Amino acid sequence: MLSIDNLHASVEDKTIIKGLNLEVKPGEVHAIMGPNGAGKSTLGYVLSGREGYEVNEGAVKLNGKDLLELEVEERAREGLFLAFQYPVEIPGVSNMEFLKESVNALREHRGEEPLTAAEFLKKAKAACKQVNLPLDFLKRGVNEGFSGGEKKRNEIMQMILLEPSLCILDESDSGLDVDALQVVADGVNSQRDGQRSFIVVTHYQRLLDYIKPDFVHILADGKIVKSGDASLALEVEKSGYAFLGKAYEEADA
Amino acid sequence: MSQWLSEVIATAQTHQDWLAPHRQAALAELEKVRWPLRKVEDWRFTPLIPVEKRSVLLAKPENSTFSAPKIGELSAIELVFSGNELLTDVSALALPEGLEIVRFSTATAQQQTAIESLLSDVKPAKHLFGQVNDALLADGLYIRVAAGKTIDTPIRISQLASNEGDQHLRVLMQVEAGARATVLEDGYGDASSVNTAFSEYVLESEAHLEHYRFAMFTQQAMHVGGCHFKVAEKAQLNSTLIGYGSQLSRLDVDVIYTGEFANANINAIYLLAEGELFDLHTTIEHAVPNCTTEENARGIVGDRAKAVFNGRIHIHRDAQKTLAELNNRNLLLSRRAVINTKPELEIYADDVKCAHGATVAEIDDTALYYLLTRGISRSQALIMLNFGFIQELINQIPNEDIAGWLLNQLHDRFVGMEVK
Repeated sequence: MLSIDNLHASVEDKTIIKGLNLEVKPGEVHAIMGPNGAGKSTLGYVLSGREGYEVNEGAVKLNGKDLLELEVEERAREGLFLAFQYPVEIPGVSNMEFLKESVNALREHRGEEPLTAAEFLKKAKAACKQVNLPLDFLKRGVNEGFSGGEKKRNEIMQMILLEPSLCILDESDSGLDVDALQVVADGVNSQRDGQRSFIVVTHYQRLLDYIKPDFVHILADGKIVKSGDASLALEVEKSGYAFLGKAYEEADA
Repeated sequence: MSQWLSEVIATAQTHQDWLAPHRQAALAELEKVRWPLRKVEDWRFTPLIPVEKRSVLLAKPENSTFSAPKIGELSAIELVFSGNELLTDVSALALPEGLEIVRFSTATAQQQTAIESLLSDVKPAKHLFGQVNDALLADGLYIRVAAGKTIDTPIRISQLASNEGDQHLRVLMQVEAGARATVLEDGYGDASSVNTAFSEYVLESEAHLEHYRFAMFTQQAMHVGGCHFKVAEKAQLNSTLIGYGSQLSRLDVDVIYTGEFANANINAIYLLAEGELFDLHTTIEHAVPNCTTEENARGIVGDRAKAVFNGRIHIHRDAQKTLAELNNRNLLLSRRAVINTKPELEIYADDVKCAHGATVAEIDDTALYYLLTRGISRSQALIMLNFGFIQELINQIPNEDIAGWLLNQLHDRFVGMEVK
């Protein structure tokens, strides 16, 4: 599914990812935890191909394809989905138009006919209900005036509609109350089908009570320094990142 | 004085026809022009170097190699100039009742009198290239819509310029009281051609004119033209202006209200590809009370391209109860794209409602990235993010065939422009 081999990446000449290795198999859920500044969000941006994020070394393969060779939109079409920590507001473009263009771009890539307006509307309404957003959110500008929780739910709605093979959730729990967290987690869990894989990036263990990970990795200073099962997250929750050494303990305080 | 202008004057003096007195009046003005014009406010941002460099006026302008594009399913009364030659046989046209079209070069003595009385009656003398057009005028069309008549079929006047040819043509139109008509003036040019297309419109009381002017001159073409309107009581003008850039492309528009309760709605769109220049100057003269102007100019400026917008609304002392709005919005596709925008309100009346504004935006990289991560192609994402404000103006176009065709043209031109 996803194979990251010795990845080094930098932003504005500052190296953030320093030799990261990760293997994600179909159906697996991997949680990546770590202190602030460890490179958690950078990983999502690098994998999605954001401009300004330079890969200096290493290789990334998604479903056997060299991911780093692909443009941002091509990565999405190959099945990569990034749920943003801070979803972008785009006034003037309706959520509906945005979702329809996305879904049809992916369908075209798979050699499928574009959905008609009626077909799309039916799917979009169902997805909207699933993440507990009122239907008029489809008509509003993309994320325009949405609350933090509504934006996160809108990300999950996109994930449901786009049916990716690998989902990266970048702090999808940040800024959510317990109810919103439940909706986001339910949305994610509904998409677990034994084939689709997830990388759940989070600062806190809380989300992992709702989305049970198969593996937990601790990212610190651009590398995975420790891996384990779900119990590792609980350990972090209990004693923080102290085991990483003094510097991280303070950074996380 | 530039060598080019000297040659314009010399050439004009050789034209001995019934328009000679009119040419002489313009020549007297041109003799006074102090070149270069860099220091003149009107030409501050638009260098005339391409014209200055053009030292030789071609004695025999060649026909254009273009043909006028088909505009969707639009069925129009088509008049096509290739170079200075009118390809259409006006006398063979089956015109609807109430519509008269006269070619300058074949005008009868009586028609000549009508033409002479209208020539430069609307177009202000301040336009240098308007004077050049007066002096070099090769041919023109006089169009009259009789009082109370509605002409449903649009009248399309196309000007094609290429092969280094000169093209100096004039359109005069009189929409008599209560009459209605639609006119499309479209111009296409490249290859170092020079076009000065000036048109003058008189809208009599309660007349209604739907007007289009497409200045689609590209590449090395030079185009400096204008549209000028006199709008009488309760008359309505709806004008859509489209500008492509070239090495020199400029359009001057004047609206002069001569009667109360008249209104003008002007929408302008310019899309400039790499390195091109387009300059739009508009002046609205609210000389009488109770008139309404709404003007929207919106443009997208490509890498190293330059747009100039100068929109002036002049509200005279007696023009009480004027409503006027002027807005200019721009999107720059690169750090090297330039817009010089200057919306101006000059108000001497005290009971008016006026607003003006200008905005300049750049491509929002974060929004673009967001759309790309959802699999949307770059060109489609750019359209979604940045074409809406152009599309809004296209949606206001009353004629569906023109709107549909234009949307495709501008869409394709935008997609072909590179974001840097």
